[in-house]
Amino acid sequence: MLRKLLNERSSLYRDFWFWSFNRRTRAIARFLLLSFSAAMLAIVVSCTQQTPNTSNNPSPAPATNTSAASPNTNHQQHGGKEQININTAILSELDKFEAMLGVPALSNKIQASRPYANPEELVSKNVVTQEQFDKIKDMVTVEDVVLTGEAKDVDYMSKLGLMKGHLIVAKELLDKQLPKQAEPHIGHPVEEIYVDVEDQLEERNVKEFKTTLIGLQDLIKSQPKSDKIQADFSSSMQAVDGAIAALPENERSSPAFNLQVINELLDAANSEYGAAIANGKISAAIEYQDSRGFVIYANNLYQKIAEPMAKENPEPHKVIETSMNELAKAWPSPVPPAKPVNTPDEVTQLVKAIEQNSQKVISKSNPSA
Amino acid sequence: MPNKLFPGKSTTWNRRQLLQWGLMGVGTAGAAAVGLQTFVSRSSSAVRVPPIPPSDSLSDRGLQPMTVLRDFDYGTVRKENGRTIREFRITARNTTIQLNRAVAFNTWNFNNRIPGPTLRAKQGDFVRVVFLNQGGHSHSMHFHGIHTAQEDGVRPIRHGAATIYEFEAKPYGVHLYHCHAEPVTRHIGKGLYGMFIIDPPQGRPPADEMVLVMGGFDVNEDRKNELYAFNGLPDYYHMHPIPVYQNQLIRLYLLNTIEFDPVVTFHIHANFFKVYPTGMTLNPSHESDVITLGTAERHILEFAYPYTGKYMFHPHQDAIAEAGCMGYFDVINPA
Repeated sequence: MLRKLLNERSSLYRDFWFWSFNRRTRAIARFLLLSFSAAMLAIVVSCTQQTPNTSNNPSPAPATNTSAASPNTNHQQHGGKEQININTAILSELDKFEAMLGVPALSNKIQASRPYANPEELVSKNVVTQEQFDKIKDMVTVEDVVLTGEAKDVDYMSKLGLMKGHLIVAKELLDKQLPKQAEPHIGHPVEEIYVDVEDQLEERNVKEFKTTLIGLQDLIKSQPKSDKIQADFSSSMQAVDGAIAALPENERSSPAFNLQVINELLDAANSEYGAAIANGKISAAIEYQDSRGFVIYANNLYQKIAEPMAKENPEPHKVIETSMNELAKAWPSPVPPAKPVNTPDEVTQLVKAIEQNSQKVISKSNPSA
Repeated sequence: MPNKLFPGKSTTWNRRQLLQWGLMGVGTAGAAAVGLQTFVSRSSSAVRVPPIPPSDSLSDRGLQPMTVLRDFDYGTVRKENGRTIREFRITARNTTIQLNRAVAFNTWNFNNRIPGPTLRAKQGDFVRVVFLNQGGHSHSMHFHGIHTAQEDGVRPIRHGAATIYEFEAKPYGVHLYHCHAEPVTRHIGKGLYGMFIIDPPQGRPPADEMVLVMGGFDVNEDRKNELYAFNGLPDYYHMHPIPVYQNQLIRLYLLNTIEFDPVVTFHIHANFFKVYPTGMTLNPSHESDVITLGTAERHILEFAYPYTGKYMFHPHQDAIAEAGCMGYFDVINPA
């Protein structure tokens, strides 16, 4: 190791790999090298001093040195406390902070102020006060965390839900004899989403189905009229359903669990709907269709929990059901209408209404929030 | 971030900076040193950049190529553990632009511009990119350069989520970043790309520096480009020539991000340029008036115009030039 270090010294590209700021390796490096660190640091310092100083170079660098920001060096907490990545966590995870601090709508505020370069930006971006931050800081991270428990399952189910949405709209287009339009929607699950659930499939003993999806995509691309498409399509859909079935039954039937997934789907649908419309016309059919698929599947999920919702949460149920029905009208057919039925703003408002009412149900059922 | 070097007005380099450059030139062996000295004396110790004509307002067509041309983002500089960190904040969004009078196009872009911000660091700096995806689809930022697999930016970041990419800026040269979510053709074709310049430790001689990124637009999703552009808007510099001064050294950072067409050339009229391949040399490799770039290829080109007047630049695949990838330099007398 030391030899490598000395070689590095003369290298053109000084690569301080061992004390790199890479946030993912930092924690490991810290443990492995703790006893070495002092000696190494000394060497590094001497290396640095021996390299030609180029800091007086005229190459311009507006140095807005923000001394207030503290370095990313002290936020690995290994006290066994669960950490939440404020850059990626879904609302129901962020609700833990909301509950700890008793600040209404804090979860939404945290999401709205993304991205965060470090946890302290919760304070500098005025999301929480310093005093509030001190109470939660052990749980806050911007590093990748391994999700556990319900959050992990919601994340998994949401991704599979997006796949379902893509496939649902693909099926509609296939049925209308529009294989060319269907093709990107068969591609998206494997291109954008599969890689993100791949590890989990193995963990949950779900047989890989990438091959099935790619096979279907290849078939549609090269033989759009083939008789085999129907059968291949069914096996793709079954594969996704099989992956969903790997979740525990109590989650799959729980209103709170499904609402979290529904909101993830609607959030994506909302954004894609906006991306479909230019100058008051639907100019990107693919994004219109994506969002249609997500909304249809969100509706399917809601149908399954509508009964318990009506019984246990009649008020939110009323708003959600009405908003869902309204929302569905924005996508009258798989092939986009000449003129959008709803503006992106109208769709956003409906999605927000569903989200707010879902939150009431989710926080009620989640004892930690 | 506003360009601190060329804030839209004639900028004169101070004597101290030029002295430093001069000394560096002495330190560099061979022809470059001589060339640099010649240049420094010939250019009478100043880089001069004509006032930038006002761009169309954003609301007109959605992009401002004249601003993009000389706009370099050096990030927010922090010192952490004795090391220079350059922090950049990038958000992927969807916005509509007017490619021409008839064609509105839903772009996917970084920080509401195409190309995305020209990120700039010096070799050995630490780069931290805080990336937020507000684009609906999953996106990512994949940087060209040397870094670990973890920082390679091929993992899709879902809508609404953020991530942080961190790596050392190396090696020096003119590089790029782009979304690597599949299908990459569509993600790049929609506008998710930008230039990433890593300056050599010793810097480069002063020049009027500018960025041109060639892009293609597949407007009807037929996997062929219908329109092309320098810096986002078809025919913009054709209709609004880029003013430069006579005899002023111009350093052009050139990148080709055109999908579907495997290769294009870049040609300037009535002149020749020195080529610094991939910007990874301090001395030019050769001179030409046409250079070939496959998709994602990029080079630094240096030239100065001896005569005033308007001079075209364009790919010599003339169909592509005719479909929007066309511009003029307007060479003016500084006196």
